Amino acid sequence: MNNPDLLVLGGGPAGLCGAIEAAREGLRVLVVDEGISPGGQLVKQTHKFFGNENFYASTRGMEIAGKLLKELSLYPQVILACESSVLAVYPDGVPVLDRRSDSTYLYNPTRLLVATGASEKFLQFDNNDLPGVYGAGAVQTLMNQFGILPGKSVLMIGSGNIGLIVSYQLDQAGVEVKAILEASSRIGGYRVHADKVKRLGIPVLLNHTILKAIGEKSVNGALITALDERWRPVPGTEREMVIDTVCIAVGLTPSAELVAQAGGQLKYIPELGGYVPLHDSDMRTTIDRVFVAGDVSGIEEATTAMIEGRIAGLNIVKDIKGKCNETRLEELKETLSAFRSGPTSSKIRSGLEKMDLVTQPARYVEGEVNRSGEFRGKLRPIIECFEAIPCNPCETSCPVGAITVGENINDVPVIDYSRCTGCGVCATKCPGLAIFMYQEREDGMALVGIPYEFLPVPEKGQSVYATGRSGEVLCTARVDRVTRSANKTNIVYLTVPEELGRDVRHIHVTNREESSLICRCEEITVEQVKKAIREGYVDFEELRRYLRVSMGPCGGRTCRLNTLMILSGETGVPVEKLSPGTLRPPAIPVSFGAIERNAKVTHE
Amino acid sequence: MERIVEHPLLKFERGEKIVFYFEDVQMQAYEGETIAAALHANGVRMLRITPKGSRPQGLFCAIGKCSSCLMEVDGKANVRTCITPVKEGMRVRTQKGRGEKSE
Amino acid sequence: MKNKACVTIIGGGVVGSATAYYLAKNGLTDVVLLERDYLSSGSTGRCGGGIRQQWSERMNVRLAMRSVEHFKNFEREVGLNIEYFQGGYLLLAYTEEEEALFKKNVAMQQEEGLDVVLLSREETVRKFPFMNLEGLKLSAYCPSDGHANPHLTTFGYARAAEKMGVNVLTHTDAKRVLVENGKIRTVVTDRGEIETGIVVNAAGGYSHQAGEMVGLNLPTESYRHQIFVTEPLEHILDPLVISFVNNFYIRQTGSGNFIMGQGDRDELPGLEITPTWKFLKEMSDKMPRFFPFLKDVRILRHWAGLYNMSPDAQPIIDRSNEIEDFYFAIGFSGHGFMLAPAVGEALAEWIVFGEPRSVDISNLSLQRFERGFTREKNVV
Repeated sequence: MNNPDLLVLGGGPAGLCGAIEAAREGLRVLVVDEGISPGGQLVKQTHKFFGNENFYASTRGMEIAGKLLKELSLYPQVILACESSVLAVYPDGVPVLDRRSDSTYLYNPTRLLVATGASEKFLQFDNNDLPGVYGAGAVQTLMNQFGILPGKSVLMIGSGNIGLIVSYQLDQAGVEVKAILEASSRIGGYRVHADKVKRLGIPVLLNHTILKAIGEKSVNGALITALDERWRPVPGTEREMVIDTVCIAVGLTPSAELVAQAGGQLKYIPELGGYVPLHDSDMRTTIDRVFVAGDVSGIEEATTAMIEGRIAGLNIVKDIKGKCNETRLEELKETLSAFRSGPTSSKIRSGLEKMDLVTQPARYVEGEVNRSGEFRGKLRPIIECFEAIPCNPCETSCPVGAITVGENINDVPVIDYSRCTGCGVCATKCPGLAIFMYQEREDGMALVGIPYEFLPVPEKGQSVYATGRSGEVLCTARVDRVTRSANKTNIVYLTVPEELGRDVRHIHVTNREESSLICRCEEITVEQVKKAIREGYVDFEELRRYLRVSMGPCGGRTCRLNTLMILSGETGVPVEKLSPGTLRPPAIPVSFGAIERNAKVTHE
Repeated sequence: MERIVEHPLLKFERGEKIVFYFEDVQMQAYEGETIAAALHANGVRMLRITPKGSRPQGLFCAIGKCSSCLMEVDGKANVRTCITPVKEGMRVRTQKGRGEKSE
Repeated sequence: MKNKACVTIIGGGVVGSATAYYLAKNGLTDVVLLERDYLSSGSTGRCGGGIRQQWSERMNVRLAMRSVEHFKNFEREVGLNIEYFQGGYLLLAYTEEEEALFKKNVAMQQEEGLDVVLLSREETVRKFPFMNLEGLKLSAYCPSDGHANPHLTTFGYARAAEKMGVNVLTHTDAKRVLVENGKIRTVVTDRGEIETGIVVNAAGGYSHQAGEMVGLNLPTESYRHQIFVTEPLEHILDPLVISFVNNFYIRQTGSGNFIMGQGDRDELPGLEITPTWKFLKEMSDKMPRFFPFLKDVRILRHWAGLYNMSPDAQPIIDRSNEIEDFYFAIGFSGHGFMLAPAVGEALAEWIVFGEPRSVDISNLSLQRFERGFTREKNVV
């Protein structure tokens, strides 16, 4: 084929929509997809979509894939290549591996749309690589794409939307789901999805996790345990479950390797699943000719992926032809913003804001009367007491009289920061534990003081997980100091990156099995990584070269983030301050023969 | 590990019936399936034994992003069986350790 | 951060780390090792890891043989297993000119006590049946040559030096060197200043720029060299194999991966290290011709590093005549890793005792370029 105007990496919802927009304006488009058939994860989605009817609401995912493919097939100048992978974005060309012929093609497209989706996060527990332990995507592939059951009896780990949906799908296919384990104290996914599995009789065990997959050559059981509020196993609650399949659904992380390799800037944004390519509202990355759309640009869901794909497609048309349908572009952007305006998208919004994308603000919380931002740099209390309740110990305990509740004890407290000395007494006194200490420092970090009423009280210098308002781990943090209080409400001061400072509201320490694998390819354990860190290998690149972690055929997809998390935990440096390391071509192992069998792509 | 015959939402249009071999044992598959999927349908879950710890590993990601399903196919080592279609007469073996060079 | 040191070494590659190690071993521990990224992040960590003694210049053979002594004892002396493997080097001769040169070189190398032998085409085929040796005239095989892991070697030296008291500062970039009346006063880094009297330029690909910091115009320039590594296979290839006319080298690492590269005569000097499709394509076309089993083997990672070239493709180990106590170990021309132990040792002795003791490095002086020189021919 001739050089395309647009090369789309990935034939999922985002890539197909981007291709359709470009094709409609006459551009020559090549879509390459790694799968045996196109459609990405859509083909495995048997549930009906939420949203707006103009964007396929109430249609099942697999049917949407069919519609998009049919629409794309109307354009003769579009080629869809399956079983094909882009190997790299080199300055002198973009080689594509065709696995069917095991040969490569070199293209020089005018624009690239990277819509490579996501890969699954891996979880550490004993025997986590035993056959019968699957990622949720693999279960969906086997079951919904090939019609093959992964097993007869499943233990699901994770109660986010994917864990809930796949559990429902397993039941539909006649597989027993013994339980859904959720480490935190609340279900992660949408209420409606949770209700769906609950009414099937599938128990959701909150505050539970898996300790071990049991079996010699394949899973035939699992050891599970209850967790306390600090995510530590509760002794005596361990029990074995007889199951033949463990399904891991603990989240996704963007497959941004090719963007990074091409020179695009990534940023660690936990709300969006990990390292995300920086992009603007037109889906343009930091490299001129490269666009992103869908999960690779931040983990969200298929509807927004399709809208993003269309936005990217229109902008690519504009780049190449000098103009596009601006009205349509604006409409798409408004639709996207509307989709993200609800309360369930608050995490996405805060993630997007971290790359300076404007989102429609979340609902205004009434009763926020204090403006602490004017006193940047001063150690001061942040009072998150927005509801009118009859309470005033903060007022009465303040040694300098800086806090006023006033005559009506139901009023929310008002603080005069110019008088506040930052002593922290109010935080130890507040019955609602709603007062946090806060100070921005000059090095981009912030000191956060958290009222803490648990044992053990962490030591100064100890590394802990800092968690957010829903118990989600935001980063690892070093304990700066602990102010002990006679009333047992101690204040634990943590240093965290400033951008997380307003979200970190609790801490916990996980207890992970030391002999569990962190790197499947090179068989590296958590313990080996920790030992190396103690020996002084505190740079990801040094660690990687010392242990070979992330040097295997997977290219670090399953282990890079987990290694960084450990490194962060052991050194106290937040993950986002760590270098994620170099990402090297090719993106997928490619044989000499395939490179040798390379067809030159001719210009017109 | 069996094929779904009836499903409330899905209809599976399977390709031509073909035969392939796992450790010299003849097995059935349908054209269009991946090697790993076909093995699962035949009850085979252990796909490789790792080089260092001799750990059995099986299908994990199913989209060619990890190394868990590397097997020897027609004498070639390190084939990602989760994204490689099964073909008539194919000879598939559990990969033990690193791959041997192909014959 | 330390703000005063007797010696400041610029460059946390294998040469800088080895020098730091031998300085400390000789009792000089008031040393700062500066690395602007992570240890081994430059040329060291990007190289092929070969350790060869078969050189066309006699002094280079001696220097390399001294290094091999150190590599052999590395784990015992320095305390880290660096995957050192004496699988030999097999140099392939395809032209009459190469045949003559190999014969001459091997005679000289044998005089130096090296265990190198010439193998006929038939002998080579018998020893390495999995290679396609069509058109081969003869080969030179030295079983005591070998390879090791360059990262681990660097880490080993740096950690051992640290234990003896050396201050290793990674992610610290030397920006300027303040000189007064020809004497070094201070090294200015992006994280603070270090008052120092002695500076070692071990900046690898950036050695010219490090020389400019004291106003010297050192005759080195850098060229991109690309390399890639395959997925691991069971061990099959003992030696590192080189063909100069066919322009390649290849070895199998301790982890089983094959690592290989070639030179590119079209490269222009510069600091660019982006890998290219051209290299991937040329290597994929070429290598399975010599190693047919490679055609089904997959390539895992592809990267590039810098060869810091001197005018005669041999290192420059010297101290400046203009700037007092400014030492340099530069211009290794792609062979710094294998020579680093002997060079680090000699340089450290020079600083501590006023002269190199273990090995003669007089042929590697800067002044040789004023006298006229012979270019090292055994270079890919």
